[in-house]
Amino acid sequence: MAWKTKQSATIEIDKRSEPYLTQQMQDRFTEELLPRYETKHASLIPILHEIQDEYRCIPYQAMIEIATFLELKPADVLDTASFYEEFSIEKLGKYVIGVCQSVACEICGHQAILDHVRKKLDLEPHETTDDGKFTLLTLECLGSCDTAPVALVNDELHENLTIEKLDQIMENLPD
Amino acid sequence: MPVTEPVLCKRIPTAPWGDPKDRHVVSYDEYVKTGGYESLEKALSMKPAEVVDLVKESQLRGRGGAGFPCGLKWTFLPEPDGGRRYLALNCDEAEPCTFKDRLLIDFDPHLVLEGVAIACYACQLDTAYFFIRGEYHKQAKVVQNAIDEAYAHGIFGKQGLLKGKSKQAVECYLHRSAGAYICGEETGMLECIEGKRGWPRIKPPFPAVQGLFGRPTIINNVETLAALCPIVKKGKDWWASMGCESSIGAPPSYGPKLMGVSGHVNKPGVYEVDLGIKLSTLINDFAGGIRGGKKFKGAIPGGVSMGVLGPDQFDAEMDFDIGRTNQLLGLGTACPTIFDEDTDMVAVARNICRFFANESCGQCTPCREGTSWTYKILCRIEQGNGTSKDLDMLLEIAGSMGIVSGTTICGLADGNNWAVRTIVNKFRSEFEARVRPSLVAVGVTVGAS
Repeated sequence: MAWKTKQSATIEIDKRSEPYLTQQMQDRFTEELLPRYETKHASLIPILHEIQDEYRCIPYQAMIEIATFLELKPADVLDTASFYEEFSIEKLGKYVIGVCQSVACEICGHQAILDHVRKKLDLEPHETTDDGKFTLLTLECLGSCDTAPVALVNDELHENLTIEKLDQIMENLPD
Repeated sequence: MPVTEPVLCKRIPTAPWGDPKDRHVVSYDEYVKTGGYESLEKALSMKPAEVVDLVKESQLRGRGGAGFPCGLKWTFLPEPDGGRRYLALNCDEAEPCTFKDRLLIDFDPHLVLEGVAIACYACQLDTAYFFIRGEYHKQAKVVQNAIDEAYAHGIFGKQGLLKGKSKQAVECYLHRSAGAYICGEETGMLECIEGKRGWPRIKPPFPAVQGLFGRPTIINNVETLAALCPIVKKGKDWWASMGCESSIGAPPSYGPKLMGVSGHVNKPGVYEVDLGIKLSTLINDFAGGIRGGKKFKGAIPGGVSMGVLGPDQFDAEMDFDIGRTNQLLGLGTACPTIFDEDTDMVAVARNICRFFANESCGQCTPCREGTSWTYKILCRIEQGNGTSKDLDMLLEIAGSMGIVSGTTICGLADGNNWAVRTIVNKFRSEFEARVRPSLVAVGVTVGAS
């Protein structure tokens, strides 16, 4: 849920010496991204996208680094990062399987697809396998109701899903 | 005169004019070869105010859901004062059952970009943000590629529109959202572009006066901007020859409309048809009829927030008056989802309420709490644990949140309200069959004088 927030004022943050927001990234953002917007704050969402794609999560340390880079408070970064569903503070699996559960998919049989993935990976929605390979998500409408049921596997949308088709897709994913 | 040739789907093969299997991304070269960017050239030969007048006279109504006249919206802009002015193109399309904009950006992104250029010229805007939902990964790549092509061919960029034919320079950037339905609300979208959480703003001030970064901003839907190209090219009379007049004295619903049919039909997909087409015609003549020869039970006319059509509304006319003629909130995005006779409407209501509970941004208490309560009550009713009191409470909660009742900033809760109220009212017997009666002990003395 977008509006759920966690107590974060007193948590201890894992830190590493190597920065998440590398100098190379900063140079690229300064050249390509910052000139696009009137304020530095506005570059935040594209930057969070890049961090999420690179590390499969947005670590607190990265938020502090982004805040320094954009001259914001770390709380501003957390405020935005915690709102959007695509950004995750916990590390997601290498493959994120997002099964659409909205109304068109539900009436076209999304439950069988979801149950199959749950059994196959022994996962409940929003959990990640121990080896870090798969995360199962239930998502709201993916905008492909004409080809329901659908699921996103990372960036790729798979349409008109059947259990056989899903098995095939998952088997073809490299380790 | 009905739509006799594809308009927005000119380059996208769509039944009955073409086979969807032949669809491919239309490149810049192919787009120009088939008459692309001619509308922009024509628009640049006119004065900006003339383009605004043309769009106003064409009575083009916004395709994003509300049906607000596009030309009128443009006239709300203040005169240029030398500062920046923005266009925010709304391609959030996150409402369940809606997928019509995807067709345009999947295959013919330059049509949309040409519309962006025309709108920026007419309204004298200097920066356009193409706001696309985070889940559209493939589409974001297609659009970014098209924007790069447009820059390379001098449509956008410092030299001025269309290789410097106009002195006005327009920059166009892609901005990806990150999975939040509320960012489809116009001011929520502005907050998202500014890098904040997508909390809708209190209006006024309206975005046309004080929008993105506090500057004048025009917000239009993808399909609305795409429609500008044929209107500029062929004129307002041609545009008004399609669609229909209003039967209740409201503004007309002119032009063709992309309608995406999904659910229990044989051939789901996006079709380009006249506004005012009967739902039954759309289902039977275009979408191949209802799956398995079953009977029609109900339909969502265009996104779950608009409410639901009942079994006796199969012949509903799909125009902007549908709200008043069929007890709905409105036409929405005109992407009907069809339910056959076996559909469990309690489950449909529960699904819709879960969506709103999940997507409420949490800013206004009635919506944040109310959407979750309606979801919990419907779960209870679905599992057979509800009482008839729950049904009354459900309607009371639904009716007490939203802009109409004056308790929230944006219309998200109204969507939940309309969905719940129309489903319960049009399919009441199904709900009553699932709830136990609430018995209240009353002390009555029999035979008292």
